[in-house]
Amino acid sequence: MTEAEWAALLRAANAGDARAYGRFLHAITPMLRGLVRARGGSLGPEGCEDIVQEVLLAIHLKRHTWRSDAPLRPWLYAIARHKVIDAFRARGRRVDLPIGDFAELLPADPGPDPTEAGDALRMISRLDPRSAEIVKAIGIDGEEIAETSRRLEMTEGAVRVVLHRAFKRLAALRERHLE
Amino acid sequence: MKTNQLIAALAADTPAEPGMGAGLARWLLPALALAGLALLTVWGLRPGLAAALMQPAVAAKLALPLVMAATALTLALRSARPEARPSVAPLALLGAAALALLATGLATTPPAAWEQAWLGNTALACLISIPALAVLPLAASLLALRRGASTYPARTGLLAGLLAGAAATALYALHCPEDSPLFYVCWYGLGIVIAGTAGRLLGPRLLRW
Repeated sequence: MTEAEWAALLRAANAGDARAYGRFLHAITPMLRGLVRARGGSLGPEGCEDIVQEVLLAIHLKRHTWRSDAPLRPWLYAIARHKVIDAFRARGRRVDLPIGDFAELLPADPGPDPTEAGDALRMISRLDPRSAEIVKAIGIDGEEIAETSRRLEMTEGAVRVVLHRAFKRLAALRERHLE
Repeated sequence: MKTNQLIAALAADTPAEPGMGAGLARWLLPALALAGLALLTVWGLRPGLAAALMQPAVAAKLALPLVMAATALTLALRSARPEARPSVAPLALLGAAALALLATGLATTPPAAWEQAWLGNTALACLISIPALAVLPLAASLLALRRGASTYPARTGLLAGLLAGAAATALYALHCPEDSPLFYVCWYGLGIVIAGTAGRLLGPRLLRW
């Protein structure tokens, strides 16, 4: 997939197209994984996958900072670089990622698709029970928002609000975890 | 949790939030309105404001901070994008314009009157009022910029502070009766620098992500 196709997906996503958004995140993940693994092989596949997930969460929470007329790759690389450096620092390591060198974001050989990452579930377990249940139902059990809202007797809007706050909360928990 | 499970959960979290510009407007416009209301009720407009604004030196003390606020706003918004490497060069140009004004002031004031023109009668009030009027706009800008993804948080904070300080100065110029550039370039400038420094110090704490 080319940069232009990624950009088209994110543009559709920012206009509210959930399916395009899922495809966008799937499409960029191998490249993020390649970037993290090239630097953090010693963390092991699971440790690397934790970082990949941190980067995905950051991209998710900051996706409105991409202007649909701006090039996508520098934006993506800047977020990935910022979060990867943070994540390595939190693990007591240093990593060298030059500014603006986003040639590394060429679609790379993804390598084998892992793996369970450990941090996400640990962080989710620190959310309030309802938020944790909703994130797990939609992510792990693959429920649709509509199903979750029926099962929990909430409106779809309320489920969406809880889900959105849960991701913000997860990012804040990671941030505190880093300090 | 597998990455594709995380992605499934993330993708369910639509629609996206409004863009940075709309988000900043939502916070900054009410803050500016409140600061404006405070100016009208607590400080009050200077008598004969409309007539005074016909003089170039008085118009300049309103126009320069307005241009500065608009410039800092644009730069702050740009700097909230993660790939941006924010520059403050356009603001330095405006600083140079202010120094040129100061030079004209010096040239048109007899040296014996410089000290009186520089100190005026309200320097202290000016130094307190501008940062006070800047508090709300600065808080609003920083809150809005927290939604951004600045990779230079100190500089983004500085720009937010300069934006708030310059906006507060434009408001204060509607009240302030001192019209010599010797006065306002120094004291307004110092007020803006105080607000900018506050933003510069708060940025790294508040704009982390």
